Amino acid sequence: MTGARPAIGRPVHERLADALLSGRGVWPAVPAIVALFCLAVVPFVILLSLGFSDVVFSRGEIVSQTFSLEHISRALGDTLYWTTFQRSITLAVTTTLLCMLLGFPVAYLFLIGGPWTRRIILVLTIAPILTSGIVRTYAWIVILGGRGVVNATLQQLGLIDAPLRIINTHWAVLIGMVQIHLPIMILPLIAVMSRHDRRLDEASANLGATRLGTLRHVILPLSAPGLGTGAALVFTLSYTTFVVPQLLGGGNYLNAATMVYEQVVYALEWSKGSVTAVILMATCLVGLVIIAGLTNLATGWTRAARS
Amino acid sequence: MSVVTEAGRPGGASGAAVVEAREIVKRYGSLTVLDRCSLTAAEGEILTLLGPSGCGKTTLLRCIAGFITPDAGAVRIDGADMGPVPVNRRPVGVVFQSYALFPHLTVARNVGYGLRMRGAPAAQIAARVGAALDTVSLAGLGERYPSQLSGGQQQRVAIARVLVLQPRVLLLDEPFNALDAKLRSSMQVELRHLIKQLGITAIFVTHDQEEAMTLSDRIAVMRAGRIEQLDGPEAIYDRPASAYVADFIGASNAWSAEAQGGRVPLPDGQAMATALAGPVKVMVRPQNLAIAKPGDDATGWIGEVRFRRHVGAMMEYEVGFADGSVIRTLALHGDRAAEPTPGDRVSVSVRDPGACMAFAA
Repeated sequence: MTGARPAIGRPVHERLADALLSGRGVWPAVPAIVALFCLAVVPFVILLSLGFSDVVFSRGEIVSQTFSLEHISRALGDTLYWTTFQRSITLAVTTTLLCMLLGFPVAYLFLIGGPWTRRIILVLTIAPILTSGIVRTYAWIVILGGRGVVNATLQQLGLIDAPLRIINTHWAVLIGMVQIHLPIMILPLIAVMSRHDRRLDEASANLGATRLGTLRHVILPLSAPGLGTGAALVFTLSYTTFVVPQLLGGGNYLNAATMVYEQVVYALEWSKGSVTAVILMATCLVGLVIIAGLTNLATGWTRAARS
Repeated sequence: MSVVTEAGRPGGASGAAVVEAREIVKRYGSLTVLDRCSLTAAEGEILTLLGPSGCGKTTLLRCIAGFITPDAGAVRIDGADMGPVPVNRRPVGVVFQSYALFPHLTVARNVGYGLRMRGAPAAQIAARVGAALDTVSLAGLGERYPSQLSGGQQQRVAIARVLVLQPRVLLLDEPFNALDAKLRSSMQVELRHLIKQLGITAIFVTHDQEEAMTLSDRIAVMRAGRIEQLDGPEAIYDRPASAYVADFIGASNAWSAEAQGGRVPLPDGQAMATALAGPVKVMVRPQNLAIAKPGDDATGWIGEVRFRRHVGAMMEYEVGFADGSVIRTLALHGDRAAEPTPGDRVSVSVRDPGACMAFAA
């Protein structure tokens, strides 16, 4: 670019833009790096320091901070932590599996559908994301409540005598979690499906496979990258979510995120809260590594292709 | 519409029809893609559907494979109506244009896919896959992934993948498109030998007339959803049924003339015999035209060389005339110094008036 025209005589801003966009160095990424450093790395370091030290506050300011492993060791020895994180992980894994189970058929419909089917699926998938998760969660309170749509309908049909207790149970949390996160699973799957070569399905049929055989031996394995991406996103979001368990669990459903909230906001135990947050992040990372490993196993052929 | 002739090529077709397509019609909305197409392919015959893109040749192939259900007409294989038979139960093997190899499976698993879908025991699959890979000279590459193979190797995997199932009919949709020109011509000959050796009935789709000439026992030239002529390669070249076929098979020079008394006068003063009368379209192959440097007082068919190019052992000339018409001639190289160059005046003559073709205009 620069070689084509003499640099001399060109305005400074043009030369600067040229240099920035030339692809050499990290310059194009600098704004993002600065923002991430200020907004993510620095707060994280502060969070870490709070979790690994004894802090003395006075009038909202830190007056002394000394290194200590007491909070982390106390947390690891506390059975409440173990049961809470176990509950969080179970909820996140169940949500992820249910989203895969419910999302894949939608993606398959997208694959085999005509242009209008595809458009409708895309709109129905994206539309919920346009509404706030809090609004959607409140909607579930209306639907699942004692006098809500579900109970009213079941009673009208005479299937039940008294309203079922759904809201404020872990079932309500699970239903809400799956509904909130389903689009996040469907979108990467749709991305994979829209690149899927239908000639492969024809070849499979020509070689004697039934539709189910083609689905199982061709479409499913080729969707692995989409399933992997979707699972990673849904797991991360549902493992660290706060809104859904807080609202649909009725304040008595404790998962890792609501635990952090209570420790920091109600108990004002900042060190405890930051230790919980650190454990949450670390275990989430472990979960992601496992998902990435499984995805890699399922997509080994893409690496052979590159070598 | 011209008469559709059907005739065997010596040493090609024999025995009963394996594939029979009868009056196949396929419409998409108001567009008729296939208009009553009929053909038969005999045991061991290689038949080619030849035509420009959009002529319906791939649609006809897909009807035979079962990917498309025709609006009318019937496909029979070994006499059995294929109408109610779903794709995965038809005794046909399709080699796709882009091969459609499964990218997530190794070569061996690609070739063994059909056998696995049929529930064959593992030992039998391994043996037959090995034999199929041997047939297409790919032994030892079974553990590679398709993306690690060259285009020619991928094509052979695609062929092995269907041959391993021993189909009654092999359907090939422009299988050489993805190959470079040099590999293409050697693969064409190789594939014809392989198919003949296995004695399998094959239907090819191509838009390349040279490819059709190399591979086929018979060629069906298609135009706008109809089969214009179905005959052996020589017959199609020497006795095209229409101006369209003459133009599509081999380059042709064409001009309008008037037939009178069973004769059509040619521009060089000679005349050709014809059964037609009235206005006709005369077509002459480039190699049937000769050019020479004219004497100063020469009259007749005199033009000027506009352009020339080497075509292998031949030299192709483009000659322009005062009336604006242009013809092409093709001749073996002669004395280099004597060959006309662009700008030279040349006289053109027809070598063999009997090899000229006339069609009703």
